Amino acid sequence: MPDPKPERRTVIDPAVAELLTGLERQRSDAALPRKEREKKARERAKIQARREARATYDLPPALREKIRLLAEEQRVPASQIVTLALARFLDDLACSKVDLGSYKCPSRSPRYDWNLEFPPELIEAPRSKKKGQGRA
Amino acid sequence: MKIIAFANQKGGVGKTTTAVTLAHGLARHGRRTLLVDLDPQGHTAFSLGLEKSPGLYRLICLDEPLRSTVQSARPNLDVLPGDKRSESVKRLITLSDFRESILSDRLRAADYECVLIDMAPSLDVLHVNGLVASDWVVIPTRLDALAIDGVKEILLTMGEVGQRGHGFQGFSILPTFFDRTTRETLAQFKEIVKAFGAHVWPPIPQDTRVREAAAYGQTPWEYGPDSPAVTGYLDNRQRIGGYQQALDRLMEVIDA
Repeated sequence: MPDPKPERRTVIDPAVAELLTGLERQRSDAALPRKEREKKARERAKIQARREARATYDLPPALREKIRLLAEEQRVPASQIVTLALARFLDDLACSKVDLGSYKCPSRSPRYDWNLEFPPELIEAPRSKKKGQGRA
Repeated sequence: MKIIAFANQKGGVGKTTTAVTLAHGLARHGRRTLLVDLDPQGHTAFSLGLEKSPGLYRLICLDEPLRSTVQSARPNLDVLPGDKRSESVKRLITLSDFRESILSDRLRAADYECVLIDMAPSLDVLHVNGLVASDWVVIPTRLDALAIDGVKEILLTMGEVGQRGHGFQGFSILPTFFDRTTRETLAQFKEIVKAFGAHVWPPIPQDTRVREAAAYGQTPWEYGPDSPAVTGYLDNRQRIGGYQQALDRLMEVIDA
């Protein structure tokens, strides 16, 4: 039997490591000219602001591909397509235009009571093109 | 029951403040806690808004039972106070048989979940008694060369106590008065982390509110619950350091 892969041990408290990294960064920033320091601070603030807006969900690859194609076709960011789609979905759900119950199947996971099972045509079907469609 | 000592032979590093704050923190979490003052300055009781009194003297020299020598300071928190008569305790202990375990014998019989011992900045028989009684030692230190030398000294003393058969479960180093704007702090912090690795707890930021709290006889949880010394630094939306995080680490030690 092969030896188990040795695990790297944490030798310092994670909070201490985090603090040290922050202090090192501050120190190296302090050595930069003012303009560069400000630029770095702006970049960091931008990254931090974006972090709040990030979410990770599992999506069926076909759906992801559809979003990518639509975004390319409309020449807009895919994130904005998804934002619009989700906002519209939540509106429809609030107005009972969508019934989650029709997709629910019991889940065997201890974490969830239900799974949503989608008919394949909902996910896989190619996106129909309608010309002259107005703003949804 | 876990007995934790707060020790550093260097004075003014935040031993009493740390012991008082963490003892009250444990009590607020519903842990029955006893705070023992081994320092003849008697500042433990003072920090909690009580009068100094010879609790330790009555326990050791007059052989009174522990329950009659402690004072209730807060819900779930009792204090065994000290004052200048703690000096007489040292003389009595020096003349006694089995002198190194006198305090340990008294405390082990106590009905508390945690006992925190605030040690004096000295290296006398009372100090050794405190170390022999403890399972874990928290070493508060400022990040300057002199205080860090104190850390080295206390570790050597612990080694000597260990050689006489006492087994510590471990120790932690708690940087206090942490001022992240100075180069010296960073240099000393790096040194100490390099030397002691996971033994170093996240630091307690320098904070005037803590000094003010003692003047009002309140703990930082009462006087400045939102102050940096309690909540730590905000770094990348994460809170780092502060007594809240030190309390989390201490509870991990107690529950281990």
